[in-house]
Amino acid sequence: MENNCRILNRIVEINISNVKYADIELSGNTCFVGTNNFGKTSLQRAILFFYSANSRGLGISASQKPFEEHYFRYENSYLIYEIATEDKSFFVIVYRHNKLVFRFVDAPYNPDFFFTANDEAMKIKEIISNFEKRGIYISNQIDTFERYRNIIYGTETDKQLSKFHLLKGNEKYQNIPKSITNVFLSSKSSVDSRFIKDFIANSLTTESSSIKLEQVERQLRQFNEKYSDIETYLKKESQQLIELIDKKYDQVHMLKGAQMEMADKLGSSLRFAETQNESIREAAKKKEEELDALTTEHDTLKENIESKQNDIREEIGYYDRTIRDANKKLKAYKEQNVEEALEKNQEREKLQVELNIARREYESLTSNVASIEMKYSTLIEQLRNDKSAYINKINSRTSEIFNHYNELQLLQKNEYNKRDAELKQKRDESFNEVNSEVTAKQIEFNELKSEEKVIRTTRFYEQEIKDLESELAELRAVSYKNKSERAIKQNIAQTMQREWEALEQKLKSSLSNRINQTNNEIIKLKNEIKDIEVKLNVQHDAFYGFLEKNVKNWHNTIGKVVNEKLLFRTDITPEMKQETADTLYGISLNLETVEVVSKSIEEYQFEKNERLAAIRDLEESLNAFQTANNEEKMLAADKFGKQLGEMKEDVKVLTYSLELADKREHKLGSELEEWRHKAGVEIEQSLTGNRQRLNIIEEELTLLNKKKNNLLADFNNQFDKLKVYNEERLAELKERQETEISELEVEKKNQVKDYEDKEDELSKEKDKNFKSKGVDAKQLKGVETRMKEIQEALKEIEQYAQIVSDYLKDKREIFDKLPDFIQKKEEFVKSNNDLNTQVEEATRKFNSKRMELNKQKRAFDEELIDFNNGINFYSNNFRETPVYTKYSDIIERAEAKRTNYNIMDLCTQLLKNDSHFNEEYGAFQRYVNEFAGKFKIDNHFNFVIRNDASQGEYERFAQNLRSFINENKIELSIAETATQIGLVTDSIATKVKELSGQKDKIQHIITLIAEDFKKAEFEESKLIEFIKIRLEESDNKVYKLLKRVQEFREENGLVYNEGLFNTDFATGQKREISGRAVKLLDQLSSAIKEQEQEEIRLQDLFELKFNIKEGMNETGWTHKIDSIGSTGTDILVKAIIYITLLHVFIKESSHRSSSDFKVHCIIDEVGQISAHYLRELLRFAKNRNIMMINGLPNKSGLESHYKYTYQFRREENNNVRIFPSIVTEVEA
Amino acid sequence: MLAEDFNLPKQTHDIFGIMARGNFISSNGSKDGMNRLYDIVNNPDNFDRLQAYFNVIRYNIERGNNFFYFSKLHEPNSELEKKLERFERYIDIIDLLASMDNKITIGSRFRPSEIAEECNANVRLKQKLQKIPLYRSETLHNKVREICDLMSRDSYLEMEDEKTESYKVLDSYAYLLDVINSVAIYEDTTGGSDDAQGLIYN
Repeated sequence: MENNCRILNRIVEINISNVKYADIELSGNTCFVGTNNFGKTSLQRAILFFYSANSRGLGISASQKPFEEHYFRYENSYLIYEIATEDKSFFVIVYRHNKLVFRFVDAPYNPDFFFTANDEAMKIKEIISNFEKRGIYISNQIDTFERYRNIIYGTETDKQLSKFHLLKGNEKYQNIPKSITNVFLSSKSSVDSRFIKDFIANSLTTESSSIKLEQVERQLRQFNEKYSDIETYLKKESQQLIELIDKKYDQVHMLKGAQMEMADKLGSSLRFAETQNESIREAAKKKEEELDALTTEHDTLKENIESKQNDIREEIGYYDRTIRDANKKLKAYKEQNVEEALEKNQEREKLQVELNIARREYESLTSNVASIEMKYSTLIEQLRNDKSAYINKINSRTSEIFNHYNELQLLQKNEYNKRDAELKQKRDESFNEVNSEVTAKQIEFNELKSEEKVIRTTRFYEQEIKDLESELAELRAVSYKNKSERAIKQNIAQTMQREWEALEQKLKSSLSNRINQTNNEIIKLKNEIKDIEVKLNVQHDAFYGFLEKNVKNWHNTIGKVVNEKLLFRTDITPEMKQETADTLYGISLNLETVEVVSKSIEEYQFEKNERLAAIRDLEESLNAFQTANNEEKMLAADKFGKQLGEMKEDVKVLTYSLELADKREHKLGSELEEWRHKAGVEIEQSLTGNRQRLNIIEEELTLLNKKKNNLLADFNNQFDKLKVYNEERLAELKERQETEISELEVEKKNQVKDYEDKEDELSKEKDKNFKSKGVDAKQLKGVETRMKEIQEALKEIEQYAQIVSDYLKDKREIFDKLPDFIQKKEEFVKSNNDLNTQVEEATRKFNSKRMELNKQKRAFDEELIDFNNGINFYSNNFRETPVYTKYSDIIERAEAKRTNYNIMDLCTQLLKNDSHFNEEYGAFQRYVNEFAGKFKIDNHFNFVIRNDASQGEYERFAQNLRSFINENKIELSIAETATQIGLVTDSIATKVKELSGQKDKIQHIITLIAEDFKKAEFEESKLIEFIKIRLEESDNKVYKLLKRVQEFREENGLVYNEGLFNTDFATGQKREISGRAVKLLDQLSSAIKEQEQEEIRLQDLFELKFNIKEGMNETGWTHKIDSIGSTGTDILVKAIIYITLLHVFIKESSHRSSSDFKVHCIIDEVGQISAHYLRELLRFAKNRNIMMINGLPNKSGLESHYKYTYQFRREENNNVRIFPSIVTEVEA
Repeated sequence: MLAEDFNLPKQTHDIFGIMARGNFISSNGSKDGMNRLYDIVNNPDNFDRLQAYFNVIRYNIERGNNFFYFSKLHEPNSELEKKLERFERYIDIIDLLASMDNKITIGSRFRPSEIAEECNANVRLKQKLQKIPLYRSETLHNKVREICDLMSRDSYLEMEDEKTESYKVLDSYAYLLDVINSVAIYEDTTGGSDDAQGLIYN
């Protein structure tokens, strides 16, 4: 037992696996001999567990039982490791208490501690109480592998436990168990530089120090997806589609609005039609009744007039007949010479008197012969009596005639007066009638005139025009308000935009300043690092290296006085001169109070690390600043973008509403114009009608005046005629009176003269008779002749007496009244004519009124027909269409209102518009689909539309797209993506840098290994001339690309991503840089996919090559080292390499002060190695304080080279017994 | 003349591989970087070079609305007839797709099950689907699947998600519509059968 150093001295297995008890010493090279499956490897694992304390890293495959279960089957299963130290040994107990736990015991191993007198292994409690009883220190239970390792590798801070160390490890002590484990685990594998690489890498790294490609790939994918989304969005075609979507959306929206408005109108019209139907029907009926009443009234009037006309016609017939008969009679009288008869008749009375005179003369002549005196006196008296009788008679006749004519004149006068009065009355009546008619016409005329005035002042369709005007005014007011609102909002938007831009500019310049500042600082630090690195690189060959090698504690002497630059000069060739060792050029100085100015390598390293950390800090802070800057940018974008978006949206809405208002204004304007035109036309029509009527009335008035004048003339004429007639008649009567009187006077005068003559004659006769007294015969005959003549004449007169009497009667009754009859007939004719005119006028009025009523009725009927047709059309052709379903809500909820459109037109227009709407909507959907289809389904803009999306969803898509544009979200996305590319490259660069940072360690290890190989004492055997090892650049494609990303990052710093897309702020150079970054990341992504590697580990960073010369064989620089020579040679070389590796790692991972310890190198299956080689190997290991633990399948003499040899045997109960083989150790 | 002389993009092989099969390169295709290939062909410099290069091997790149395809220079009539026959089968398919409530247009995304469901609920569509020849699938769903499969093979559709069996209509669909729309159907008045119809491709 070697007690001058610390070593795992012994391993004891109590009830471990199928070994009941085994006590194996390990303080020298140890060999296990046994056929396969006897437990050699299990034991080796148990030894390995001492070093690694990691039950999962023992090379137990997943199909096998875990270490805990396989080894610690019983309550009293123990693994005991005894560690020899410089003074006394201690041991560690490993047992299972649910999990594996450790206890350190400050005493050498003694089986009595664990076994009872019956050789039964005790339970842990008993064991512990035994230790306590014996006063042996036993530590508390160590629960974790980590703590156990800390104790074993001397990093435990607990003073009670710190003494139980195998060696004093430094912060990298974990490499020791890793290396031992790796040697054990890779010893069976074929030897390849990859394993060596893995060995080195695994020893240097933890599991986390690798680049997980899945994570990188995910980051790249996320970036790439975003990048691709943005690229797709920025494409010309996409932008065109956006414009089209926007435009179509507006159109569709407008059409929808128009359709809804129209649906509302349709609903209003329908309700109106339904509510108005009855009232219109009633109005039409009323008009019909009015028409009937008018017809009846007209018929009655007509009948009355006609009956009057019949009477008049009868009168006319009567007078006509009478006049005709009178004329006929007159003609007949004329033919009978009535005038002559009348003349003769007038002679009748004269003739009668003459006859009477003649008779009396005859009588007197014949009878009176006696008394002449008497006779004559009587005769004269008689004559005188006759004369006076005659005079009296004539006088009476004269007075009779006078009276008769006076009476006739009076009658005539009366008749005249009566006729005059009648005529006057008639005239007045006619005048009144005409005047009333004229007045009526005048009133009508005035009415029409005032109506014209009213028409001229009336505003037709006033309500409609007023409505439209007020709507227009309202619209204009709203438009004005909207315009000013839009101007305000545009101003606000511009101000906001400027603010935003200013803020962005500020952020950009602050970022740029910060970047410049950080870059400057980083450059400064990098320069410092470079300086330090230069120093570190040259230190070996410089004065510094010389001092390190040759002068102990030089920092406290020379280090206090030497110039730092001098320390790193390589050209001053320092040499040791003993005599001036403690002096400065022979001058001794007390430097105790002087500060040390030189720095140790560690300090330089520390300074370098400090600067690296500072760079990292600066970068991190820049990163944080950039993130904060970005966040601020995003906040600003969020704030301003949202507000600006809202504002722009408002402006757009206002613009749109203004456009709509414009259109509406235009429409309303034309409607107003139309209404005005209609009103004008209506006025014109009304005026034309009115004027026509005025003209007619004027004409009628003229006619009436004319008629009145005619009537007046007529009446005057009649009056004149009547007067003339009257006067004529009176004159005639007077004349006749006078004629008759004068005739009578003449007759009287003649008669009186006759009487006087006769009296004279009688007197003379008397005288003569007196004288002659005789009778005169001649005279008597003359009297008789005269009497005969008179009688004859009277007889003739008597012949015409009848006709004269008839004539006189007719004359008195008919002929004298004939002018009256004619007058009356004319009057009746005139009355008849007047009645005709009246009928005509009434008929004209009736027709006009009837036409008016018919027109009104027709208007109602037409409206009713229009309504009914509309409702029918709506029911038959609209109600069942999908358009109705679409707008049913609006249609059904509309208020009853008269509109300017009829239902049929509205339905047709709605159907037509709907088809147009569907076309437009189809186009809109197509554009949306095409646009959304350009993006991946999981695009980060969320531009996704389902195939069965509703109209609402399509519209929301368009709205969201509009918000996206208004809020300039693409810029945010670009900024995010730009940040992301920075973060991705930074993350990759950091990881690569972290990993590459370990490359230096590898280089260092490789250098040490190479040096160790050089130091190897192969000279003695000359079997192996040399083993060379070198590092080469990795040919891993992914790593190369990762490295390029890191280089790119180093080259371009953190912020190069502004030019990621061709936006305003991108400069050409930045675009080029960003383009390169994107390409690089793309290549990396493809390479990761192609290579299908999960992670990039340290071993992927380099290639390891060996060059081994064995005898005459030189492998050249190769990856593989298994074909150097025979299998034995290969095993030897492999073992040498492993031992070297182990040695280097132990040296590197242990504290400098701790050098008095030995560890084991466990390599199984070395059976094929020759004895010579084995000896060489053991010596090689021994020189490096490494004890070998090897496995051999059987005894072959090789075991003689080991200090301890143990054999394995399986017993009948299947237990394995391990027992030492008695061999003689050959000096290794 | 070597390909290098044309200074061709490195994706030329991929481009040729797709278009020489009679398939299209659509701008909205995402599988196998189709949109990237479209951008490459769409680049005016690349286009001229590729055109010159492919013309040497008697292919002509035709430009559609957001898609490219090959046409052969001096193609024999027999080939043309075959092509026409290929399109004939699409008449019924396009008729079916155009009759759907949710019209299938460029960029639309749908699942065969959706179409099958609509066909199942609509007798007219069901008849149209059943009328489509060439397919032997028993269920409507499988039939629609086969149609989608055929259209994907001819690069009019692209399966976006295998799990949900979701397809996207590519820009090349416009080509199909154009061809189908330019088909004039005429009545054969001289033939014996009243139903005899013929196709004229304008």
